[in-house]
Amino acid sequence: MLARSKPLTVQVLLVAFTALPALPLSAADSTPAGNEPGLPYVYTKWEQITTKDGLPNDHIFAIKADPTRDCVWIGTEDGLACYDKKTRKIRSWKEKDGLPWRVVSGIDVDPKTGDVWLALFGGGLARFSAGRFDHYHQLNSGLVNDVVYGVAVIGDEVWCATTAGASRHNVVKDKWNIYTEQNAPMEEIWNYGVSARDGKVFLSVWGSGILEFDLATERWKHYLDPDGEMEIELYRDDGVVHVITTGVSYVDKTLWVSTYFGACRYDGRNWRGFFAQEGGTPSDFNNAARGRSAHECWYCTDKGIGAIVDFETDTWVVYTMDPDTREGIAEVRRAGKILKTLRFKQGVPHNYVLWAEFDGNDVWVGTSKGLARAIGEGYYPRLRPLDTQTAGSGSRP
Amino acid sequence: MKRTLEYRLWRQIGCLTVACVVSGLIGMAGDTATHDGSGPQQTLSVAEILKLIDVDAYHVPPLPLMTNKNYARSAADVEPFGAVKPFKEHFLLQMEYTGPGRAIPEPEHVDTVKIGFLGPIMPTVSVATGGKSHEENLGIAMLRGCRLAIEEANAKGGYLKRRVPFELVVRNDNGLWGASGNEIIDMAYKEHVWAILGTIDGANTHIAIRVALKAELPMLTAGDLDPTYIETNIPWVFRCIGDDRQQNYILVDYLFRKLNCHRVAILRSSNRYGRFGVREIRDSARRLGRPIVVEMAHKVGSRDFTMQLDRIQAADPDAIVYWGDGEDAAHALNQIRARGMKQPVVFCDRAVSDEFLKIAGPNAEGVVCGYPWNPDRKDPKLDAFREAFKKRWGVEPDTYASHAYDGMNMLIWAIQTAGLNRAKIRDVLAHRPDPFPGVTGDIPLSAALDDAGEVFLARYENGKWKYYSREDMGIPSGPVIERPRVEREQASIR
Repeated sequence: MLARSKPLTVQVLLVAFTALPALPLSAADSTPAGNEPGLPYVYTKWEQITTKDGLPNDHIFAIKADPTRDCVWIGTEDGLACYDKKTRKIRSWKEKDGLPWRVVSGIDVDPKTGDVWLALFGGGLARFSAGRFDHYHQLNSGLVNDVVYGVAVIGDEVWCATTAGASRHNVVKDKWNIYTEQNAPMEEIWNYGVSARDGKVFLSVWGSGILEFDLATERWKHYLDPDGEMEIELYRDDGVVHVITTGVSYVDKTLWVSTYFGACRYDGRNWRGFFAQEGGTPSDFNNAARGRSAHECWYCTDKGIGAIVDFETDTWVVYTMDPDTREGIAEVRRAGKILKTLRFKQGVPHNYVLWAEFDGNDVWVGTSKGLARAIGEGYYPRLRPLDTQTAGSGSRP
Repeated sequence: MKRTLEYRLWRQIGCLTVACVVSGLIGMAGDTATHDGSGPQQTLSVAEILKLIDVDAYHVPPLPLMTNKNYARSAADVEPFGAVKPFKEHFLLQMEYTGPGRAIPEPEHVDTVKIGFLGPIMPTVSVATGGKSHEENLGIAMLRGCRLAIEEANAKGGYLKRRVPFELVVRNDNGLWGASGNEIIDMAYKEHVWAILGTIDGANTHIAIRVALKAELPMLTAGDLDPTYIETNIPWVFRCIGDDRQQNYILVDYLFRKLNCHRVAILRSSNRYGRFGVREIRDSARRLGRPIVVEMAHKVGSRDFTMQLDRIQAADPDAIVYWGDGEDAAHALNQIRARGMKQPVVFCDRAVSDEFLKIAGPNAEGVVCGYPWNPDRKDPKLDAFREAFKKRWGVEPDTYASHAYDGMNMLIWAIQTAGLNRAKIRDVLAHRPDPFPGVTGDIPLSAALDDAGEVFLARYENGKWKYYSREDMGIPSGPVIERPRVEREQASIR
């Protein structure tokens, strides 16, 4: 099988954008944002939140925006927190406050009931509802293992990615299903991430690629690295880049996948691999993937955020932090070239990024040393149109 | 000694080692060419490493990253998809840890310095291993090696910086899939261990290392030979024993290049150990144009191999590979010989055991096994270890005890050197400039933090196991090209 080449239209766009004469190359720029024609929106206004601001711990594993409460839930290595966006105050819960286990590795909110579901890393699953924690674990429920990496709510169901399989809990019927190698196409059962939307549940499984479960048909589909080898990536665009996957995000019928060996995207027909050697993403070590649309995904890496913001033109914004000055840095990259570099007072709190969450135009970023909110004033998706009359519409240039 | 020579040669060929000059250290700190591994290989002294890793939470120390030119010393004619130049080749550049852990200060007060142990030491029923557990004898041996290392370190003053003893936090790996993850979490967050040694079962170890990565805790295995253990790209994971890939390679060369076999059959256990254990033999045989004629699996603990051997005999192989536990191996061998099948049978290292010899009896004569080290090596360290182990436990140390002893000593050395900081313990282990001098031989780590030392063959001769290097037995190797596949003009010689 040969690597697929890009469609002609994409090639033309790439040539057109990379040849834009007005764009300074590799130059640090103090302009507030990259809101120039042909360029993507760049987040230059960031708020950093740490233990000094009331977080129970700086090691952030999970974030979930809760628009109905106008707050953001934060899972840390030692406690749960809730950031009230109106008052900008943080409330937190530790084990002494009833949280069943200190490490919160995943969060989702049931839009129907408002219940907050917590994946507890070594402590099972918890439901936080009306100030009360209910604890589900291996010995009192159908949770297959207490090491829970991710949780996702879809309809009346709560899906958990655990280290020994996936659990599916119907909260109305109080019914549990367990999926392992016995009843699902899991070559290995080490589930790492879960994403649920539009009647589908996707599991990223360490050693078993990506599994898709269709809720209507109750059928599985399996995506593996086609070369089947641990030590090579044979072709860039042949499928999941590696069988050891770390995260999955499904949005607009598009699958975004992260691994420790690179990342990839699948639109239902074509795969595309992303690797640091091509100059877009800053690292191949991806802790998580968070898709915003079919065109945009934020990859959380050990060297900052690699956000592909316009897939068609291979345009990326890489957010890092200068460890000397603690300033934020954003590099706009396209097809391996740096088009623009912006520096701002503060950006991501640390370059080891573990999670990202979209909250309207804002983006929340969790790192191993603090939380940050990127404020999306004047945000527009993809690229600013070349015709400034239509700026802000988010349409294609 | 052979491991040392091989390591030096391998390193010299694979990497351009440049002596690090202390006065140049500051300049080197900004050398991204070196930092990202694309420049010449540099090595630092331990003192220099300690200086570099003394950073705040935001800086990543500019430690030179080891680069290998060939993954796992794979011969070109057995590399996967040899006729194609791959888009990317993994595991050639050392992983780095970029998190804030190095800035965590040492705790003000510690009564003991805890090191975790995870291994199968109590019988249980295991889904992963297909029924009743079967690795307790290996786990107990591993635990004994670890205990001896801890006791010796404590006799010398314990953790010297504080003059407090080391403490081994022992957890049973009960084999139920997922349980090892709970144990690691318990050790990481409740016991506050500084590093962990474990375990043996490949599935359980995989679960454990994912937890170790998230909890940022160094984990070293001295008993899991599953090649995929380190093929996960986790910068916190180490191995101090030659893996099944290396054992597969030497057995492939022995069978196909020395004995010139054309029809090889495989009999293996139906668990992960058997499945992954023969993977490189199966793949290499196919790539060499001599595909495995039949591969049969049996349940762990089987005593009747009739169905499997009927098919193997029907395929008329000229050699048989067995991969599984020692007792099962012996029963299978006896039934092979009882059929009058006289083909050479080669085994994995688990056959090198008293149980195997007891059951196999005279059939053991001439048996050849892959083996991760050379116990016949003349080394005062090894002699002293054997004497101490026998005095402490009343038995001779086996391969699991010996490698666990080495592994635990590696962790103790790293803690003594780096102090009570998990990230720094990781750093000194990962960037140690010279191979660790173990009782099993020198232990050089590859870029993937795997034991890159030589493996051997064990042959049972005149009532005794004898150990042979590749050179000793005149086993030819395929061409090992010391250049990344993506840089070669021709992807392969195939």
